Amino acid sequence: MPTIDLETETGRKEALRRMLTIRQFDTTAGERFADGEIPGFVHLYIGEEAVGVGACSALEDDDYITSTHRGHGHCIAKGLDPKPMMAELYGKREGYCNGKGGSMHIADVDAGMLGANGIVGAGPPLGTGAALTIDRKGEDRVALSFLGDGAVAQGQVHSAANLAATWDLPVIFLVENNHYGEGTPVEEQHNVENLSATAGAYNVPGITVDGMDITAVNEAVTEARERARAGDGPTFIEAETYRFHGHFEGDEELYREDDEVERWEARDPIETFAQRLIDRGELTNEEYEALQSEVETTIEEALEYAQSAEEPAPEEAYDDMFAAEVPEITEFARRVRADGGDPDGGER
Amino acid sequence: MGAHIGLIVNPAAGRDIRRLTGGASVVDNYAKRRVAECVLEGLEVVPDPPTALLMPDTAGIAASAAEEISGVETDLLDCSPDGTAADTRRAAARFSEEADAIVVLGGDGTSRDTALECGDVPLLPVSTGTNNVVPTAVDGTVAGAAAALVATGAVEAAAVTYRHDMVEARTKSDETVTGLASVELSNRSFVGTRAMLDPEDLTGGVVSRANPADIGLSSVAGATDSLAPDEPGVIGLRLVDPDTAPRTVRAIVAPGVVAEIGIEEGYRLTDGESMTVDVEEGVVGADGERELEVVGETVEFRAADRGPRLVSIEAVFDAAGTGVFENG
Repeated sequence: MPTIDLETETGRKEALRRMLTIRQFDTTAGERFADGEIPGFVHLYIGEEAVGVGACSALEDDDYITSTHRGHGHCIAKGLDPKPMMAELYGKREGYCNGKGGSMHIADVDAGMLGANGIVGAGPPLGTGAALTIDRKGEDRVALSFLGDGAVAQGQVHSAANLAATWDLPVIFLVENNHYGEGTPVEEQHNVENLSATAGAYNVPGITVDGMDITAVNEAVTEARERARAGDGPTFIEAETYRFHGHFEGDEELYREDDEVERWEARDPIETFAQRLIDRGELTNEEYEALQSEVETTIEEALEYAQSAEEPAPEEAYDDMFAAEVPEITEFARRVRADGGDPDGGER
Repeated sequence: MGAHIGLIVNPAAGRDIRRLTGGASVVDNYAKRRVAECVLEGLEVVPDPPTALLMPDTAGIAASAAEEISGVETDLLDCSPDGTAADTRRAAARFSEEADAIVVLGGDGTSRDTALECGDVPLLPVSTGTNNVVPTAVDGTVAGAAAALVATGAVEAAAVTYRHDMVEARTKSDETVTGLASVELSNRSFVGTRAMLDPEDLTGGVVSRANPADIGLSSVAGATDSLAPDEPGVIGLRLVDPDTAPRTVRAIVAPGVVAEIGIEEGYRLTDGESMTVDVEEGVVGADGERELEVVGETVEFRAADRGPRLVSIEAVFDAAGTGVFENG
């Protein structure tokens, strides 16, 4: 069973709720970051919600995903809880990574979310690796790696795609083409019009879909998942989308024109999908407003949870780094607890 | 004033999900550019080649093809492409006034978009893949040569063209979907990735041609009846689950997909007759691609008012004979 079945009315409403949750989460994260409450950087997913939710709803609960530096949307789409997510952004102990990862490193292996990633193009090797594990263990599940248009030109993405294709591994590469690699337009980075065309180099199929339409993304991932499960190997999907905010919060966006942003905003993936449900008679304006305020409450609660959560103690700095014991790390952890890690044993 | 041909190259590559689910072939933009160059080269088969008017496209295919060609005058239309079917329609409307023949490199959808606007200008759709019903799978040079012979009057257009009927679906809320070979109904909820996916999704529709060698609903109709594209009338079909159907056929419903299809009813519609279907939830498609989501609708299927004049390439070269090609 897919996580969310878009062929049903209930599923479509749940998908809408998840997209709204992402929008509200990232709107709040952007505001709190601007106020200086959130450390580090935040890269918001606003505008791209149909890709994450369209893709993850086509997966099953025990499938894996790998994410990017713009990962909040993927986490929510995969079913992660906004409370520990927001706590992670705040660097709090209740966060998914005990507050040590922050916005770009949310992971929840139990939920199949193998991690956001600050390194461009680092997700696909993890996706191929997860798929290799699935293959070796003979499991019936798949891995999906999100990557951006800029990542398509990365060497490690080529390595990951080549091995996955050669070994027929059950992985899907989903390129979120939001038309800019940081501030560089996609046509100045690649010599093909459709990034899905790169699939031809690996002798696997590639398809380009409208990333502003959740149903198109969902359908493509559904078919790609079937190919993967059947042992037919990876599929490249390019979802054409757009980020409504800058590359990071605070980006002056000197590389794009306002009217371009407005043209894409007119195709808002949430508003257009909600309108389709309203037109179909499945959703009333009142129900839509109620759904929006439910989501606002969810995110307000997540924010309060994060704000009131505790910060990890400095002594915990070396905890949670490796699953297996690493003697040096154990020694560092002991020393930082004993004397603050000062080699002279002084007061910290 | 010399003769002109219009050239439309559809750059939309890689959007057919049937490459995942069926056997759809892929033609990348590099290959399309080479085919476009061949078309332009082919124009030189006549001593005084027609000027080629080119539709600008988002991938710059037509523009780069024109750069490679020296023996033919080319002119890029002055309009900026937005990467949608509107590009094709705008160019076709211009060509309806300025061109003596039109070559289209694309599939059924691009040919249809051209047909809707090109009036009576002879149309020569060339398939750049293997997934289509109407476009001819032919070398670009041959297509260009045929277009040149028609555009310059070396052969008489009336003798080498035929009218290809079109079909349409109209909802009671007055939305219309027009198809060149077929307009079909699917029981999917959404347009999604557009291509018709599973044979069992098809619940019926109407075709302007019926032949087992066509791909899609026309193949289904062709399993029980025969209808040439220029023959009066169209065929309406109501499909049901093969297990409960009064008759079933084997048909080529998509590239790489032969399926058993259950036919409840199939009948000729002539003289403005239509077939009406009540749809609880579904999608109306044209030429194998989903176009319009309908919920709680009544959809009427029928012949469209008119269709384009298509060039028969074989007829062009038959009519030309050998004399046309001799330099004396």
